[in-house]
Amino acid sequence: MGYLYEKDLRMMKYHILQSPRHMSLVSRLADDLGMRVPDLQKAMIRRCDMAYLENLPARYETWLEEGDRDDELARAIGRELYTIYVPLLDPDKMQELHLKVKTMADESGSPQEAASAGICMIREEILT
Amino acid sequence: MKKLVDVSIPIGPVHPCWKEPVRIKCETSGERVLSAEVELGYMKKGIEKIMRGRPWQEVMFLAERVCGICSVIHNMVFIEAMEEISGISLPPRAAYLRVIVNELDRMQSHLIANFSYCYTIEHETLAMYLLDVREQVLDQLERVTGARINTAYMIPGGVRFDLMEEDSGALRTALREIETGVKRYMKMFSSGPLISLRSRGIAVFSREDAIKARVVGPTARASGIPESDLRSRHPTYIKLGFQPVWREEGDNFARVMVRFDEILQSIDLIQKALDTLPEGDIRGGGICKAGETAYSGEAPRGELRYFIKTDEYGRVVDITIQTPSIMNIEACTHSMLKGVTSLADVTSTFISADPCIACMER
Repeated sequence: MGYLYEKDLRMMKYHILQSPRHMSLVSRLADDLGMRVPDLQKAMIRRCDMAYLENLPARYETWLEEGDRDDELARAIGRELYTIYVPLLDPDKMQELHLKVKTMADESGSPQEAASAGICMIREEILT
Repeated sequence: MKKLVDVSIPIGPVHPCWKEPVRIKCETSGERVLSAEVELGYMKKGIEKIMRGRPWQEVMFLAERVCGICSVIHNMVFIEAMEEISGISLPPRAAYLRVIVNELDRMQSHLIANFSYCYTIEHETLAMYLLDVREQVLDQLERVTGARINTAYMIPGGVRFDLMEEDSGALRTALREIETGVKRYMKMFSSGPLISLRSRGIAVFSREDAIKARVVGPTARASGIPESDLRSRHPTYIKLGFQPVWREEGDNFARVMVRFDEILQSIDLIQKALDTLPEGDIRGGGICKAGETAYSGEAPRGELRYFIKTDEYGRVVDITIQTPSIMNIEACTHSMLKGVTSLADVTSTFISADPCIACMER
């Protein structure tokens, strides 16, 4: 049983995600990840507090300018995007996935295929 | 033996140190804060929704009601965005008058922020002195614009009232008095041993973390990011030779001191603007047209951005406001508060980032 002062914040978090800027960002991320917008919204509501949600568009812009600059493969799968800027994954888990993708890219010689496989793994991880 | 327990401590929504209701949940181990979360929703206005579909003449008044502390900059950024959309130019005298009013607004905002900080660390005497100076600044804002809070001073293509010669003289005299006061209280703050104990080295926010969290305003400049000050790209400020103030420590002390330094800088800017105030009209006129823009200005708390879309009658079809507090509160809760070694420092650290909940919830 929760405390009396604990409120169910899901509806308010959902309203934050309904602003036009948030909607366009969530649609873009959902497209990139190949998942449905409501699923991504649900994951965001579950994992982020209200301050993170309010700040999502600005954080995403920062990632575009600053994030994963040194590693193309990491940028393709959004290593820092989904751990630091839009925190949907545990950094250790992302590190593990990044290593897997790197190994796949080295073995297959096709970084694009490895990145697509990596994005699938990230999607699964976000949905669980 | 000291026993360490893991506790979840809610602070707020109503707390003596908060100016506005907000709830912070701290996960602690003993006194050390492991993580913190923010709960909002106590003062949501839905002002962006109210603005949509209304003519700019109404939105102008709504914009400055987003925040009661930095209302002038909301007015300025909205109007400058409308001018950019419609290609309206500004008479030089009006541009300088805008800077004067904007800097007076910044001074009173910084003074209330530093008042809150001093009050939070239990230095009530200094806090009250600062409030007294803020009253003097508000009097000057009233002298120039006719109002203390919601001034609605800026309109597309100009400003509403000119500055009379006798008012200009009175403003200069008042600024000298304010400067003397601020310097005195700044010295009290920087040399106070107990203030130092509560502020230096507390909640250090590194430059790297500040860039990642995209903090803005004095909070960013206290962590060594001078380029965060958008005034250095504003044409009128460039004419006045503006140089941003910044520090490297990144702690609570630095955040408060940057604001003190910026108050003195604002006094200097107003004096320069008064010295070089061009003669001429204060209104150039112009018609608001259809268009779309994202326009940023430097609010007292940092970058304020308006995303505006208008139709051919100057009605605001779509508007989104990105206020500085969105970035600063998020960074404060998730980065600065993490690792704070005493719960007593949670409130002071939060206040040191100058949070504005009205801006954040809009």
